[in-house]
Amino acid sequence: MNARSEWYRSGFLKQFLALLLLVFPMVASPSLSAKEEGEHPEITVNVQPDSVLVGDRIRCMVTVYHLEREVAAIEGLNRSDTLSEHSFELISRKHSSSLLPSGPGNEVFELEYAVFGNGRQLLPPFMLVLRDVEGRITKKVAYTPSASVFVQALTDSSMRDLRPIKPPLKASIPFLLMLIVIFGVSGAAGLVLLLLFLLKRTVRNSAEDVDSGHVAQRKLRKLGSSLSAGMPPHECYEELSNIMRTFLENHYRISALEAVTQEIERDLKKLGVAGFESIMNLLKQADLVKFADSRPDVEESRQSLNKASEVIRFTRASKVER
Amino acid sequence: MQHAVELEELGVQITEASRFIEKAREQLSQRIIGQHEVIGRIFIAMLVNGHILLEGVPGLAKTLIIKTFAAALNLKFQRIQFTPDMLPADLVGTMIYNPKDMEFYPRKGPVFANVILADEINRSPAKVQSALLEAMQERQVTIGSQTFPLQEPFMVLATQNPIEHEGTYILPEAQVDRFMMKVIVDYPSYEEELDIMLQSATTCSELPVMPVVEWDEISKARALIERIYVDPRVQRYIVDLVVASRNPAQYGMVELEAMIEYGASPRASIFLLLAAKAHAFLQHRAYITPEDVKAIAYDTLRHRIRPGYEAEADNIKPDDIIRQILQHVQVP
Repeated sequence: MNARSEWYRSGFLKQFLALLLLVFPMVASPSLSAKEEGEHPEITVNVQPDSVLVGDRIRCMVTVYHLEREVAAIEGLNRSDTLSEHSFELISRKHSSSLLPSGPGNEVFELEYAVFGNGRQLLPPFMLVLRDVEGRITKKVAYTPSASVFVQALTDSSMRDLRPIKPPLKASIPFLLMLIVIFGVSGAAGLVLLLLFLLKRTVRNSAEDVDSGHVAQRKLRKLGSSLSAGMPPHECYEELSNIMRTFLENHYRISALEAVTQEIERDLKKLGVAGFESIMNLLKQADLVKFADSRPDVEESRQSLNKASEVIRFTRASKVER
Repeated sequence: MQHAVELEELGVQITEASRFIEKAREQLSQRIIGQHEVIGRIFIAMLVNGHILLEGVPGLAKTLIIKTFAAALNLKFQRIQFTPDMLPADLVGTMIYNPKDMEFYPRKGPVFANVILADEINRSPAKVQSALLEAMQERQVTIGSQTFPLQEPFMVLATQNPIEHEGTYILPEAQVDRFMMKVIVDYPSYEEELDIMLQSATTCSELPVMPVVEWDEISKARALIERIYVDPRVQRYIVDLVVASRNPAQYGMVELEAMIEYGASPRASIFLLLAAKAHAFLQHRAYITPEDVKAIAYDTLRHRIRPGYEAEADNIKPDDIIRQILQHVQVP
């Protein structure tokens, strides 16, 4: 009993257990320990620039060489459990990989950090994880980069003058060029609008120049041909009424298309139109065909067409004389 | 051609049958000066079994026109002054208890007449208005458990004052819609006013009105009006006008879209056609033209179109909206 107590007291057991605890993880999981140079995976870290002002960004290139048919991933970048990691804030990360001709793979991790703190700062550690094609973890490597960055504070006791403020970033398109483009586009749009306006005015003027009587005569001739070709007389009267109303609307500037015969009669009477009686007779005759189911024969229709043509000719001539 | 001959014959018959209108007009002109349009509209409504809502300030001879009209046409006339304390029984009648034989007997109200003048219809509450409007629609009245048909012709001419709205019960749109036309009674012209003054400023009794029309003549006229020809173009024109009051943008009147809260109901199409037929009859024609439709469009549509807030803000009246519709919808 005493011998055993002695053995305990000597602290031998404590030392043995401590040694066992230290050795066991290395035996059980050798991948958790850092790898030496030249072994797979091979890790290189480059930082640019190595000296920055506080708040600036650095670009960190982590290149990993590993065996073929393995995929590497970096983990543990977002942890903030160590003091050094407070100095580095991960902004973005990119990943690219390629297969080397000799066999093993090559993967590049591009990490962008915002740097804080003051003085020399070691890059934060990370965990490199290698997986096989089936996604099983084959190796885990805890890696602490030896590269560091010197961070200069905006103010410190050694300062004599204020550090110059960085000039604002220049726009990718110069302001002057933008101004030229805006003025150019506005000018072009204005020019197009002006051209459209001139075109519209020209078209309107040319439309006004068209003699409504001439148009009506041409339509009447066409209608006469249709009648000869077998057009039913009642349809001919309907068309005749439309031709007459359109002519009166364009020639005397009255709204004849939306007016009933009585209203047209009132308007023409006010204007003292030449051939008033004949115009009204034609319109009333057409009304009888349209609304009272009157069925004139072809000869009657032809006579009405001739009469309409005569009235239009007479009306035009009387207006020219005036 | 056959149809045209038939229409010609019908035209002759119409000219013959419409002579009573001239005789009645002659009688009316002995007591009424001016107001030719109002008289014309009353004849139209009478010919097609319609009712009229007359709107005008007091003193424009509304009552006199209707009274004389009824007398000239030999029709029974009743004037009912609508008041706020009126009850439906005051209008249609009620059951009266007779103690002698211990039974209830129906006592018919003033609605049992040919021509009813519902004076200031908007002075009575909705239940009285409804009782009258029901009689107008159904042309029968129920007192107690008995239903009594109203005499033919049965015509209601209701009046309302456009300037006094205090203590009135505005007619709901659904009830106004039952009136075939809403006629605006306007002031007489200067010359007419002079004649009215000279004729009426007397202590002598009024000239008596001779009954010159018999019921048979009105009945025959109604039968002829039924035969008046309506071309499909005119039918479509009527529908176009009514639809344009609902969807003005469809007819190129985009600016009217916000002006109209709601447009005319299908009753408007029916009454437009009927009134246009009666108008053609008064013109001794056996067919309708768009002129007939345009002539009665204002009176038939004005109480069926409700202007929106924007129209009210711009002081745009239903007549202005109808004018725009008539100017934009193409005549066949």
